[in-house]
Amino acid sequence: MTSQALVAAFTLLAFGLIVTGVAFGSAIGDGIVASKAVEAIARQPEARPNIFVFLFLGVGVLEAFPIIGLGLAFYMLLVVVGVPSGLYASLAGH
Amino acid sequence: MQEKLGEHILWHVPVLGAVHGDTIATTWLVMIVALAIFGWVGASYRSAYQTKRQVVVEGVVNYIADLATGTLGKRGEPFVPFFIALFVFIFLLNQFGVLPFKAFGLPFGGSPTADLNTTVPLALLVFFLTWIVGFRQNGIKQIGHLFKPFWPLAPINILEELARPATLAARLFFNIFVGELLFIIIASIILAHVTLGPVNLSYAVAVMPFFIQFFNFFVGTVQAFVFTLLGIVYLSLSMGEEH
Repeated sequence: MTSQALVAAFTLLAFGLIVTGVAFGSAIGDGIVASKAVEAIARQPEARPNIFVFLFLGVGVLEAFPIIGLGLAFYMLLVVVGVPSGLYASLAGH
Repeated sequence: MQEKLGEHILWHVPVLGAVHGDTIATTWLVMIVALAIFGWVGASYRSAYQTKRQVVVEGVVNYIADLATGTLGKRGEPFVPFFIALFVFIFLLNQFGVLPFKAFGLPFGGSPTADLNTTVPLALLVFFLTWIVGFRQNGIKQIGHLFKPFWPLAPINILEELARPATLAARLFFNIFVGELLFIIIASIILAHVTLGPVNLSYAVAVMPFFIQFFNFFVGTVQAFVFTLLGIVYLSLSMGEEH
């Protein structure tokens, strides 16, 4: 195994780990925000528009961090290491 | 792969050096489009009857005005036009990436907010607005906000103050940038021609851009809203309690 293939393999592993963590954390966070919003609407149905504002604010602020992580992971994968060119070449068999 | 990540057309300007020409051209195009839209809406106010476009635009304007005055109280009224302009401008900048100008080889296109040179000035605008308004209202005592609740916390407060514009800019930039990045990823998967025997698996991905575009529209709207709302919240924190 050449050192270049080793770097590509470990970059792919790191990318997988980053995406796993990002998906895991943002799913839990979104779940908490949405469940609390549903509880709040069930308790006070008349405050629904106000709660929706804070629901979207919470989701918007929270979704930014996984997307920043994903952007940096893609940057690492595509620009710093440049994995896909070699990977796709090997997959396509040429 | 023809399109490179984060690559921009460079203009060489005498004083400033190399600038991102496509971002500047697209931003000016968005401003012209926004002026045309609002001129078209404003022209309908000549008639005595309420038209559909008035109802739509007044709904958006009322919503943000209610948010600003609800958070800032009576003192927030002078800033309502600023926040409405911020929301509409960022919204249009985000959604302009849908139009495929760059694919036809034109020197503009793509979302200008997928470039840190657009989002950092917008975040700095909000940052300086909060500080200048705070100084105009509280005078030199505004610096005392950094030493609350007691002075050993000053480094944390200064760090938090500096983190606000940084996170505002990074949040908007990365959300729009990753949205555009997904299309490049899908294009690269299709161009890779991954085959399984006689079947070309890559063409199965071709349905994805349709759904990603819906996601991008949602994300662009929510991020414009979040940027505006966080600007209002930061301004209210800087102005302090209403006396």
